[in-house]
Amino acid sequence: MRVRTGLALGTVGALVATLAACSSDDGSKDAQDTGTRTITVAYQKTASFHQLDDLLQKVKPEFEKANPGVTVKLEPIEAEEDQYYTKLALMNGSKSTAPDVIYEDTFQVMSDAAAGYLLPIDDYVKKWSDWDQFQDAAKQAGLGVDGKTYGVSMGTDTRGIYFNKDIFTKAGLPTDWQPKTWDDILAAARTVKAKVPGVTPLNIYAGKAGGEQTTMQGFEMLDYGTGDGKGLHDGDKWLTGSQGFVDSLSFYKTVYSEKLGPSLDVALDASVGSKVATELFPKGKLAIGIDGSWQPGGWISGDNKWPGWEKAMGYAAMPTQTGQAPGTTSMSGGWLLSVGAHTKHPQTAFDFVSTALNKDNSLTYDTTNSQIAVRKDVAADPAYLSYNPSFKFFSGLVATTHFRPATPDYSQISSNIQVAVESVATGQASPEDAAKKYDEELEKIVGKDAVSAAG
Amino acid sequence: MATEIFVAPTGRGRRPRPGSRRLRALTRSTPLVPAVVLLAVFLLGPILWALYGSMTNTGLTGYRAAKPEFVGLDNYTALLSDGDFWKSAWLTVVFVFASAVVGQNVLGMALAVLLRIAPKTLASVVSTLVVVAWVMPEIVAAFALYAFFSTDGTLNAFLGCFGLDKTTWLITFPLLSVILANIWRGTAFSMMVYRAALSEVPAEVDEAAQIDGATGWQRFSRITLPMIRRSISTNLMLTTLQTLAVFTLIWVMTGGGPGTASSTLPVLAYQEAFKFSQVGYGTAIATVTILVGAVFSVIYIKVLKPEVD
Amino acid sequence: MTTLDTTSVTPAASPSSGAGSRARHRGAGMPTVASPRRSTGRFLASLALVLVGLSFLVPLAWILLSSVDPAATVSVGVPSSVTADNFKAVFTKDQTFLPLWNSLVISLGTALITVVVGVLAAYPLSRYRMRFQRGFLYTILFATCLPITAIMVPVYSLFVKLSLLDSTPGVILFLSASSLPMAIWMLKNFMDSVPVSLEEAAWVDGASSMRALGRIVLPLMRPGLAVVLMLVFTQAWGNFFVPFILTTSAEKQPAAVAIYQFFGTYGSIAYGKLAAFSILYSVPVLVLYLLTQRLSGGANALAGGMKG
Repeated sequence: MRVRTGLALGTVGALVATLAACSSDDGSKDAQDTGTRTITVAYQKTASFHQLDDLLQKVKPEFEKANPGVTVKLEPIEAEEDQYYTKLALMNGSKSTAPDVIYEDTFQVMSDAAAGYLLPIDDYVKKWSDWDQFQDAAKQAGLGVDGKTYGVSMGTDTRGIYFNKDIFTKAGLPTDWQPKTWDDILAAARTVKAKVPGVTPLNIYAGKAGGEQTTMQGFEMLDYGTGDGKGLHDGDKWLTGSQGFVDSLSFYKTVYSEKLGPSLDVALDASVGSKVATELFPKGKLAIGIDGSWQPGGWISGDNKWPGWEKAMGYAAMPTQTGQAPGTTSMSGGWLLSVGAHTKHPQTAFDFVSTALNKDNSLTYDTTNSQIAVRKDVAADPAYLSYNPSFKFFSGLVATTHFRPATPDYSQISSNIQVAVESVATGQASPEDAAKKYDEELEKIVGKDAVSAAG
Repeated sequence: MATEIFVAPTGRGRRPRPGSRRLRALTRSTPLVPAVVLLAVFLLGPILWALYGSMTNTGLTGYRAAKPEFVGLDNYTALLSDGDFWKSAWLTVVFVFASAVVGQNVLGMALAVLLRIAPKTLASVVSTLVVVAWVMPEIVAAFALYAFFSTDGTLNAFLGCFGLDKTTWLITFPLLSVILANIWRGTAFSMMVYRAALSEVPAEVDEAAQIDGATGWQRFSRITLPMIRRSISTNLMLTTLQTLAVFTLIWVMTGGGPGTASSTLPVLAYQEAFKFSQVGYGTAIATVTILVGAVFSVIYIKVLKPEVD
Repeated sequence: MTTLDTTSVTPAASPSSGAGSRARHRGAGMPTVASPRRSTGRFLASLALVLVGLSFLVPLAWILLSSVDPAATVSVGVPSSVTADNFKAVFTKDQTFLPLWNSLVISLGTALITVVVGVLAAYPLSRYRMRFQRGFLYTILFATCLPITAIMVPVYSLFVKLSLLDSTPGVILFLSASSLPMAIWMLKNFMDSVPVSLEEAAWVDGASSMRALGRIVLPLMRPGLAVVLMLVFTQAWGNFFVPFILTTSAEKQPAAVAIYQFFGTYGSIAYGKLAAFSILYSVPVLVLYLLTQRLSGGANALAGGMKG
């Protein structure tokens, strides 16, 4: 019996090994960019984010017509941000399912490049005449740790404060509001709470399920406005024991314990971003929201069109904690189109990227999705400048903006920030304890040598 | 041993000649081959793979996705010192105990008894409702319960009729909500098992006790329960193991949150692997979960000594 | 849940019922003597049942009512007007029919493979005494109890290695393997209750054992086969976690995953459509359940089937 069991186990082991060996045959190196071929494009689509889908639906027939033999298979992943990354990572996990063209967040690019999911496209961009049109910062955003280019920027963004002027008028607050400190924001929120019942005074993203929006539109908008604005990372070290980190969490504690924020069932839901954009703001249910510059895109056109947005919405820059220099802060990110490492048709995939992001298409995307243009020719185009009255304001925030730490560990660290924020917002941990736990997890992820105590 | 190799089905007269025995044994076990292959590759395979994977630092993205390293038992030692893991293990115990051992079993038994007493039409309507909750796809059940417990959902609307304030059930009492949900979802199973078991209790025994003057409760606890104790212990064990594996219900209703307030082990394993990108660590959690299940299985087999011949 | 509850259905009964020989049903134990105390008891029992029934009904009613409500919310309520718009809105190929078709392919594939492989395996286990029989049956029983969905993380990693991600056959094979222990156990018990003497006649006539299985045993255990088919089909149909992890492209995803995505994307806005989609997705298994009940005879068929 024992022998048989051993034998059986051995057989299974061998079987698994054989199958695994079969699968590791790497067919991807023999690139084939002529004849009949299909490229898969994986991207995100949600109730409030349809612009990319619109663009790609338009590019697909054009590209297929211009390149006989090519079929473009659009693979929209209908999920909010966090689940989008998971799904993408699951697809990238296997050569057979890895997409050829990937809609990739700039913060994921280093990590996914390191994982071997993305193809370096330096050779291809060199031959692309439009590449000169891209601003240096945008080229930078597509770099991996090895300094190679892994994606073409679709546009960038900034973050600031939106507020509803109608609610502000009812609350007796100025409609040209510009808070100077965090306390000014809280004070305005308290006023709204006292004077305009039935309205959520302030939204700052707090949920783990919200993913990167909680880190970037939420926590980092605070953290990078504390102290000297170093935020999470300085030089090549991650910061631990940062007072700014604790203070940022304390801001959350104030917002959620005083019930200035949305109720937790809304705040912690994965779809809170869509809800804010398509419901809370348009229906006048939210007074102040810290959010991204792209928001008006969904109000100008599409299923959730909101014609009154221009009149109702006011904008303000995010102040630093106590109003210390430079007075305001912002965060910038953006998305790329990348080519998957396992593509069998690298040239075709890249051609699709360059078509999707040529001048006309970039212009369409940057306007409809309220992106800050990164192509010089688009940025200077009158059609771009006149499209959306909020462009001017949000472009202005670039002066004091920050970028997220560019390291392959960032995405994992960001998840831990979300854990810290949610635990404070729900009252499960004090800001100090949550910050301490973050420090411990951080050290586990990057190692002792890569952290240093904040000054 | 040799005589035991194969005994022909009862009463078969032909004895095989010795030379053809081996051949016959092979022929006879051939039909088992597809099953053995399927089970080996798709059940034993993942389990063996889990043992190996849990000893690597495989990531979902980053360097560790491209080049995972063998880290021995590091994941397990990390697990033992991880507060989240112990919290999750405790939540799993509470979830399993409250929803399966107590909830489904007690309600299932109660239903089985009541269904015998109540008028036939009512009994069949109620048992159909209970069974529908169980036959229906789990994700649909999860949505229905999510809506039920939502802040603006049916439960609060109902309690509102009595002037009670709205409670954010899924945020304030996440574990209680998923426990109740799992009782709703899974009671049918216990009900059916107990119904079948009760129908095997000879009516005469019960009647004899009744004539001796035993009350209904006495008859139930002293006569009926002992008679169906095997069904009870079997059912306890099975509902425990089913509940240990519940994922979808919790995932849809609370996502394991707020924070980690309703992250049972399967949810934690998913989150560690696919949200925090630590596939190796998540695999270690999965391995521990399956180990717990395996221990239960062994206990079950030992205690009940099922007739496998 | 579906997966595992059903997975474990068999041993619930079989170990205690020893090959189904004791699975005779008493006349539901109806009271023989009517008395005043009995009728009070009956009344209280009915009252309790009504309450339990209501609490089971309400979440189900939400789905039914919301699906025809033009302004559905998360709370159950009688719609102010009845509309078919929710159904019309989800009556599209990509949204509903393709995922349902995928569910059908996966569930039918899983059910057929499981039953065929299960019958083949159950036959020698039921009819012959083999050296490894005890060990094999214990292993099967052990596997029946394992919380397989709890280990989807390693299953994913394994599927990556085997290049089986996003492959419908891969999903089918995995689901078949995970329901196989239950199926073998149940089928063996059903088979045990078919008397061997009938086959012996066929053997004497020179029929092979496989022929005897197909011609004599299987027809006699049709109700049992129906129950197993139904259980496996239902659990595959309802399974969410397995295809959620193992399929990635939209055109291969079954309804469980499609509906989850719909919920994630539009759920907070379109409850009516979510409910309509849920109904379209649930009806097939509910109908199948009723059919099986009819087919196997008696209201208690499923439970009876489990008893072997």
